[in-house]
Amino acid sequence: MTKDFEPTIVAFLCKWCSSAGSDLAGVSRMKYPPNVIPITVMCSGSVSPLYIFNAFQKGADGVLVSGCHPGDCHYIKGNFYARRRIALVKELLDFIGLESERFKMSWVSAAEGTKYTEIIKDFVKELKPLGPQKKLRRDQ
Amino acid sequence: MVEMEQLQKEAKEILKQGKVKFVIGYSKGSQNLTATPVFIKKPEHTSRLIWDPTCVQNLVKFIVDDKQKQSREKKPDERPVGIVVKGCDSRAINVLIQEKFIDRDDVYILGLSCEELGVVDEKKIAQKLEGKKIEKIEFAKKNNLIVSTKDGEKKIPVKDVLADRCLECKAHFPVIYDQLFGEETEREVKEPYKSIKKTESQSPKKRWDFWKEQLEKCIRCYACRSICPMCYCDECVADSINMAVTAETTAEEKAQKIKWIERSPALSENIGYHLIRAIHLAGRCIDCGECERACPVDIPLRLLNKKLEKAAHELFDYDVGFDHKKPSLISSFKDEDPEDFIR
Repeated sequence: MTKDFEPTIVAFLCKWCSSAGSDLAGVSRMKYPPNVIPITVMCSGSVSPLYIFNAFQKGADGVLVSGCHPGDCHYIKGNFYARRRIALVKELLDFIGLESERFKMSWVSAAEGTKYTEIIKDFVKELKPLGPQKKLRRDQ
Repeated sequence: MVEMEQLQKEAKEILKQGKVKFVIGYSKGSQNLTATPVFIKKPEHTSRLIWDPTCVQNLVKFIVDDKQKQSREKKPDERPVGIVVKGCDSRAINVLIQEKFIDRDDVYILGLSCEELGVVDEKKIAQKLEGKKIEKIEFAKKNNLIVSTKDGEKKIPVKDVLADRCLECKAHFPVIYDQLFGEETEREVKEPYKSIKKTESQSPKKRWDFWKEQLEKCIRCYACRSICPMCYCDECVADSINMAVTAETTAEEKAQKIKWIERSPALSENIGYHLIRAIHLAGRCIDCGECERACPVDIPLRLLNKKLEKAAHELFDYDVGFDHKKPSLISSFKDEDPEDFIR
């Protein structure tokens, strides 16, 4: 079953860094798995926990939130707020028993196309043995 | 020991002087088990006020209600509200002030110290009595409760029937008050997060099975939301209704309105609702346990909130409700916040 399974990853990428980072990976023709659905948000600090829960409810197998490195935020401190909030979301999802591998956060700057591809590659590799995420998913 | 007469006297005094528009407190419950909230408007009625371990409710919700009611009045009555609070409730007031929902001057706080004890858990007492009806309940010597039923009196050690939250309480005396009754005694809490310890130590699969079983029960009555002093949003994300539907509203517009959570009590929606509620209460929940008490299907909702309270304490060194001058958990950050989970 897990052999053919291709996980779906929803990635919330901040417009100023991670989104540009993924663009760089694209224009540099770097190869990485096509499992990601990127959603550009204005700042990682604008990612509400609702977005994350809803992504899981709508069938995401993994969710990635990616923003600028600390100190590089376009809005000065958005990613610091995100860091706190995402830590709490992570604790909560862990607590109700969702596999902790399914939810990740990363710092990817606009110059780090390679890092972005590495993150996605590793994420897909980790998600494959877990199989589809059915816990929070709707309609079943 | 808290003297009930002192409390009644002080309430009478502030009502006479017109310092407050009314006093919210506890009075004897109709079933003689848990106390009943009471609004006292006249000084001569203050003798109805009581204080004993059956005063389980968090009355701060009534301040929230009053504030919301006054905000809709043409001529709001801006005199402060007198309120009787325990330690946990006083922290709720602190959070409301911190969030600027109320001002410090909006409340006149009559703080009661729980001293060595706390409040009882109805379910635990009911278990002890095997279904017999309680006629009277009172403290005897320090560690015993005397519960009278029709078969006579029964002595119950307080520790056996104290609510779980009281056993884990870090501050059993009010942290903000105008008048304090009782003493600020020290009490050692050996395991402040005992209730979540069991769930935490289990494997993810076990944890999931546990929560699946619990949250499947939820009937989405929203009692937990209604009773929570921190759930004061005019519109809740769980059932947002703010779209004005007119004759011109197209089906497409209606369909495109974002619905984060559907209303059906399906497992996925229930989990969504409870996760969002827990996150919205992160760094705000003062662990009064009202959600769990109000829940008609006995979902251990306190655990979710307690988990985040623990996370806030351990990761960010943030304790809820102790200082209303500090910024709140979510609206602040430190440079040294942990980021070992971030790649």
